[in-house]
Amino acid sequence: MNERAYNIKPRSGGLWNRIWKYRTAYLFLVPSLLLLGSIKYLPFFTAFVESLFDWNGVNINTFIGLGNYEELLQDKKVAVAFANVFKISLFTLIVNLTLPMLAAVLVFRIRNIRLQNFLKVGFIVPLVVPMMVLVLLWRWLYAGDFGLINQFLDLIGLGSLKHSWLGDPSTALWAIIFVGFPWVAGLPFLLYLSGLQGISEDLFEVSQIEGVGPFRRFWSIELPLMASQIKLVLMLTLIQAFQVFEAPYVLTNGGPGITTITPALHIYDQAFNYSRFGYASSIGVAMFAILIILTVVIQKFVKNSEKIE
Amino acid sequence: MKKRSLGINIAAIVLFAISMYPFFVMLISSVKHQMQIYENPWFFSKVFHFDNYWIAFEQIAMPIVHSIEVTAIGVIVTLLASSTAAYAFARHDFPFKNLFYSIIIMLLMIPGFVILVPQFINIKNMGMYNTIIGQALPPAASYTAMGVLLLRTYFEGLSKSLYEAAEMEGAKDARIFTLIVLPLSKPILATVAIMSGLQIWNNFVWSLVVTTGDKVMPVIIAITTIQSGINEGDGVKLAGYIIASLPLLILFFAATKPFVSGLTQGAVKG
Repeated sequence: MNERAYNIKPRSGGLWNRIWKYRTAYLFLVPSLLLLGSIKYLPFFTAFVESLFDWNGVNINTFIGLGNYEELLQDKKVAVAFANVFKISLFTLIVNLTLPMLAAVLVFRIRNIRLQNFLKVGFIVPLVVPMMVLVLLWRWLYAGDFGLINQFLDLIGLGSLKHSWLGDPSTALWAIIFVGFPWVAGLPFLLYLSGLQGISEDLFEVSQIEGVGPFRRFWSIELPLMASQIKLVLMLTLIQAFQVFEAPYVLTNGGPGITTITPALHIYDQAFNYSRFGYASSIGVAMFAILIILTVVIQKFVKNSEKIE
Repeated sequence: MKKRSLGINIAAIVLFAISMYPFFVMLISSVKHQMQIYENPWFFSKVFHFDNYWIAFEQIAMPIVHSIEVTAIGVIVTLLASSTAAYAFARHDFPFKNLFYSIIIMLLMIPGFVILVPQFINIKNMGMYNTIIGQALPPAASYTAMGVLLLRTYFEGLSKSLYEAAEMEGAKDARIFTLIVLPLSKPILATVAIMSGLQIWNNFVWSLVVTTGDKVMPVIIAITTIQSGINEGDGVKLAGYIIASLPLLILFFAATKPFVSGLTQGAVKG
């Protein structure tokens, strides 16, 4: 019995010998593990540990159990911040699932190859423009009486709607969401387009012979076969929307009052203006937990595309 | 049929025009003085003040140099760390391979803001506060996970007989890696380099927390504080924004293909 078991495993020596045999492979892993370990994973675990501490990053580092989390639950800014990112996420999700898809389907159906290629590239150029430039551009468009958005309202006879968009609590959050209007050119467009390009030509030919109209074609062929891309856009949009920072930081800095605060802004503020690193870490951990839950829900309930050969 | 395709063309072009108009306004306003922007904001107006660009450039020239340094170091670190790891995963079946791979890939699941604070303390304790390398390493590490993912797939796709022939000749891993795998993988290395470069160049938050003053200030932060005289006004700022975007735009048009494949593959696999 013993002997047979021994024979099934002909590997010479034990685990250590195998590890030794592959020592060069481990050597090849050293740079990446060192980099990620020291720069990413060490801080990641520190975040969890320090979320239980009163920590200022210098001389105060006292264990306070769940104190930070208790405070977090009663912090009005945290409540507003998460409410804001839920609003932003919901709106961005709706936008990202419709407008870029419309654009991708339109571009995909263009017959003129030159026009098609031009638009394919044209719609992804804004991806290369730094987020910060986009935000600064929109700050300029919103600005004061002479901001272009207000001037445009004057031009079309709606001067009465002129507004201090970023200064009014009722419009500030919407102004932040509105950055990048009409939200067509970007990563979702590119993903949808690559999804469409992956659909077999035969399918379209068969559907054309059978007299399938353009709307049926979208509902029955293109949409179901883009399911994987849709899922991906859902995930990316959520992760991005939850961490939105540049736009509120530059446009309103969370104001007026706390109406446009976001978790990322709150983390930044608590850590770098108040040196409350422990508390900031606990907000980060809460954000991580919510994102993980949402990710699991999406993975479970949104299906991938079926493969049709 | 003809009518329909004309409708599609027009709808697509209109959508494109609306998307681009804000950028167009930025471009035309960047060569105007403040009064011209007030008087005719919607289209070109004479005279063109190209000196706006010079005024802006003088203010952000040093930050551009810093950004180039940060991006170059970051890209090199990303390429080095991700290509070596990807080679180990693609070539060898060593114990705990899947565990190590999961550890590296899991990073893609961690939102940057969760670790922002401890990462800041960590970098500061390592003496890298307000340095070029301190700005470069964290975003480089972030993109390493994606790099490993993309490169591993590519390395595994290289012809097996190539590896075997090299081993027959007695070549060791270090030589196979540097003399065979890397030269054959230029397209995917370009993709990884471009994608990490894009993220490092555009990274605002990390530089905001880890730098102070203008010693190593990157351009992405410098553009938020561009000053201009009362005559020139906002045109100078807009010119600065355009200058800050130019290096990536040039790179994009010079290498559209690796850019696009990097964006789609990166997103799909992540």
